[in-house]
Amino acid sequence: MSPAEKISPNHTITATRPSVTDQVDAVENDTSSLDTSTTEVRSSGSGAVNAVGFTKRHNFLFSEVSLTFRRPRNLAMLGVLVLVPVLLGVALRTFGGPEASDGAPGIFTQITGNGLFLTFAALSILVQLLLPVSVAVVAGDSIAGEAGIGTLRYLLSVPVGRTRLLLVKYANAVVFCLVAVTAVALSSLLTGLLLFPAGPITLLSGGTIPMAEGLLRIGLVVLYVTAGMAALAAISLALSTLTEVAIGAIATTVVLVIVAQVLGAVPQLAGLRPYLLSSWWNDFDGVLRDPVATEVMGQGLLVFAAYTVIFGSIAWARFNGKDISG
Amino acid sequence: MSERTGRSRVTRWGVPIAAVAVVAAAVGAGPVIAAVQGEPTLPTRTAQQLLADAARAGQSGGVKPMSGTVIQTASLGLPGLPDISGAGGSSPAALLAGSHELKVWYGGADRLRLALPGRMSETDLIVNGDQVWLWQSETNEATRIKGVDRGTESKHASALPSATTPQQAAQEVLSRAATDTVVSVSNTERVADRPAYQLVLAPKDSASLVKEVRLALDGETFVPLRVQVYAKSAAEPAFEVGFTSITFTPPAAENFTFTPPAGAKVTERNADEPGEQDQARQERQRKLEGDLKVVGQGWTSVAVLPFSVKDLGANAAQKADGEGEDATAVATALLGSAKQVSGPWGSGRVIQTKLLSALLTDDGRLLVGAVTPEKLQEAAARG
Repeated sequence: MSPAEKISPNHTITATRPSVTDQVDAVENDTSSLDTSTTEVRSSGSGAVNAVGFTKRHNFLFSEVSLTFRRPRNLAMLGVLVLVPVLLGVALRTFGGPEASDGAPGIFTQITGNGLFLTFAALSILVQLLLPVSVAVVAGDSIAGEAGIGTLRYLLSVPVGRTRLLLVKYANAVVFCLVAVTAVALSSLLTGLLLFPAGPITLLSGGTIPMAEGLLRIGLVVLYVTAGMAALAAISLALSTLTEVAIGAIATTVVLVIVAQVLGAVPQLAGLRPYLLSSWWNDFDGVLRDPVATEVMGQGLLVFAAYTVIFGSIAWARFNGKDISG
Repeated sequence: MSERTGRSRVTRWGVPIAAVAVVAAAVGAGPVIAAVQGEPTLPTRTAQQLLADAARAGQSGGVKPMSGTVIQTASLGLPGLPDISGAGGSSPAALLAGSHELKVWYGGADRLRLALPGRMSETDLIVNGDQVWLWQSETNEATRIKGVDRGTESKHASALPSATTPQQAAQEVLSRAATDTVVSVSNTERVADRPAYQLVLAPKDSASLVKEVRLALDGETFVPLRVQVYAKSAAEPAFEVGFTSITFTPPAAENFTFTPPAGAKVTERNADEPGEQDQARQERQRKLEGDLKVVGQGWTSVAVLPFSVKDLGANAAQKADGEGEDATAVATALLGSAKQVSGPWGSGRVIQTKLLSALLTDDGRLLVGAVTPEKLQEAAARG
């Protein structure tokens, strides 16, 4: 790692080239009114000017995140994610819950009795494919998308280390994961509370916890699922550094998710299951057990961490040696 | 490429390689640590001493309070089973393949909780004195079972579809040990991170499909920790049930209290007067027992019972519940893989798995045993 790539504790760029950084900062302070307009220029595809805009201290991540949440594509995906629990709730409200004898998972029969369960049901559906796909779109696009339209060269032309750029891109993807999962949880909560009665939650083990603790456990679920999605984002980011075609990285991530789920469903390959990322996403149901299945969920978090570290470092190694021709 | 960039590339890619190595080391740490610790050595005991000690430990004060996780793994080599190993995991048929986890809390002779976690579901059996509850989150049903004798653990556990504790499985194995078995004991096993004795029972008869049955007993408390059944055709156990973690501390009292949650369907059932479904099941079982004949003895005994494929279809049509469907699905899959055989005894179809062979004769008999198909044909000629 070259000194230029080191990040000082307060997350400013180490001043290896003080004169340049100071200059840029000075320029920025003068042109801070320009900041928003320049970022918008980049979001529309041509990013020649924005190179100056984001070097403003602490603002790099912020500008990335605001870019992400201004893209119509990402907003549309969030909209779909938010809509699923609403549709699920409305359908259950209109047609009534399934009978237990229908063979439907018991969690659906419980929603009509307690709206809070909609959160768990919606997340257990979305975590299979829709959440991973939207995470793949954001993370897979992060490097390859910029390389594809030629803005990556400009991003790297300012004294921002590649490591820092990659970290910001990953942090941006993680923020998106958190926002997406939280949005699903909030939309389910709202729909559930509006359409169904709410009250103390019956755990899977048959015990009952007060509603406040139920909400707390929903918070834990959000964090767990976010961690799982963040691990997928690391894979997607690594793939994104390998190509200049964003859709390639996105599609590969989605295919990997599906392959992992197919492998996880084959009984003869049961031994493989603990090593697959996708088989741990659903273990958030551990918070609904009594006692909370901390052992299983802890293992899940370790698996997520392992995937994040491995693929994060692959992304780093690849990106630092990547020849960016624009 | 200059030498310099070449070297920096090596350093750069060293980071992900190191990351993989660290993760691999963490994954493999368990076995490595166990290997470094060396094999635990317990005082040598003969099989007889071991069993006597175990029996004594069982009599004096019973099993110590404990809690732990039991994993059951079956790889019976059933040919192409349909999609029954699905996410639910609490269907009885699903237990034929894959591995399943069971949580056990044991607080004394009359306090027991078994939990079978599935995806977004859980089946619990809670025994607290004369209070016995079966809770199924999937159907939101709580069943209170009345009139259960204290200490009849096997009876409780049979309520859970898959609940085979090592204790029960061990009893089963011990009752089979007879003159036709080679028994040996090792004192260097480690199960659930505890030193353990291992009792190995190997059948002498070469017609048996079972290579050996291994039973691991805790070195200190003599609690059965693991039972493995090895088939002759595979190096991995065909069936295994054992603790993966166990602690001998009394579990929290909350584990043994159960109040049916609001909104749950609560039913009461007398253990001695089973419900309609069970009655029908018991009738079938009684009928079956009447017709059942056993040819041979010990490891190579073969069960002979009247059976025809038509019956199977009719049976399945009768019970439209999920269990029936699963059973039919399994049966259809098995029949699909059957081989046609014939001999002086007639002709029929033979199904072979790692541990069991079944012969369905055209004259309406079903022969089942843990033996080679040849032995089954022999039995068919005799029976």
